[in-house]
Amino acid sequence: MQISRFLVISGLVCAILLMGVVGSATADTVGAGSFKKDKGMEISFGVPVDKNWAENLSNFLVYEKPDPDIRIPIHSVVLDTRRVAATLTFKDSLNTSAEYVVEAKDVTSDGKILGSHQFLVKKGQAQVLFAILLGAMLINNFVFTKYLGLCIFFGVSQKKETAIGMGITFTIVIVLSATMCWALYSYVLQALHLDFLKIIVFIGTVAIFVQAVDTILRKVNPYLFKKLGVYLVLIVTNCIILAVPLINADSGHGPFSSLTLGLGAGIGFALALFLMSCVREKLEVCRVPPTFHGLPIAFIVTGLFALAFLGFSGLSIF
Amino acid sequence: MGIIFFAVFGILCGLVLAYAAKKFAVKVDPKIEAVRACLPGAN
Repeated sequence: MQISRFLVISGLVCAILLMGVVGSATADTVGAGSFKKDKGMEISFGVPVDKNWAENLSNFLVYEKPDPDIRIPIHSVVLDTRRVAATLTFKDSLNTSAEYVVEAKDVTSDGKILGSHQFLVKKGQAQVLFAILLGAMLINNFVFTKYLGLCIFFGVSQKKETAIGMGITFTIVIVLSATMCWALYSYVLQALHLDFLKIIVFIGTVAIFVQAVDTILRKVNPYLFKKLGVYLVLIVTNCIILAVPLINADSGHGPFSSLTLGLGAGIGFALALFLMSCVREKLEVCRVPPTFHGLPIAFIVTGLFALAFLGFSGLSIF
Repeated sequence: MGIIFFAVFGILCGLVLAYAAKKFAVKVDPKIEAVRACLPGAN
């Protein structure tokens, strides 16, 4: 009951932040296209175009967005039966994580020249976001492949209930702070050329949210608050929570990508905590050699988990 | 400009946190602290 109220409050804050972010997103002014298999892309014109024009390969220029000088050789162009969409096939496989620009010169419809058109071909936003989420959660799990945030990881993974509580709290804090840090970085730090201050600003932002969570949790769920103890405040100095905004800043992520990376990192951390706590509860009743009792065996188990998580590398759905 | 922004931002966040601390204040019995102060505190 009380935890649910806590979750509702945090959800509301997330939603308000998100709304602000949606308002600031801008739309592309050029037409859009999509990838088809690994060697093709599809573009659609608003009107039926002439077959002769479309099948003349010299009417199309295709290049990757950052390198307009490197043209990509086209193999064939096929118009669909309604003459509105064209499928371009290429000699070599395309890099589906890059952005391509297709320039169509002098689009001709029923003998009339309508002028040139530009199409931006890239993966859908949802696919990119899902890839980021999955990457942060499983493939590049911050705990098991980057060995970040181990202090809290070993501190609260002794019992399942503290692990779950910490996982939820951590996810809320990291999502809020990743979004907030993105806003501060792109609208304040970059605008004022104060990039070198990013570490201080990010830590301060995280500290604000941790202080807020600390205040609220103390009232709402004193039991969990007591169980988490010093580790709740130690979220401020957690490496993951600082790594996420820094990665966002370095790779120029947008608002949704930043939020998704934070969410993925948070869920991945919660998952790692939960898995580890399950094993450590069982370890309590096992006969562990005295040398390995306690933390050493926990490190060994973490190593085994890391090996198991290597199985996710190379996972790709799209 | 940056100094002004971060000063204002910090003060605002501080005020919000102070308000939250007041709103979510947990009543601690002053007797607990008083009794603890009388004890030697060896453990």
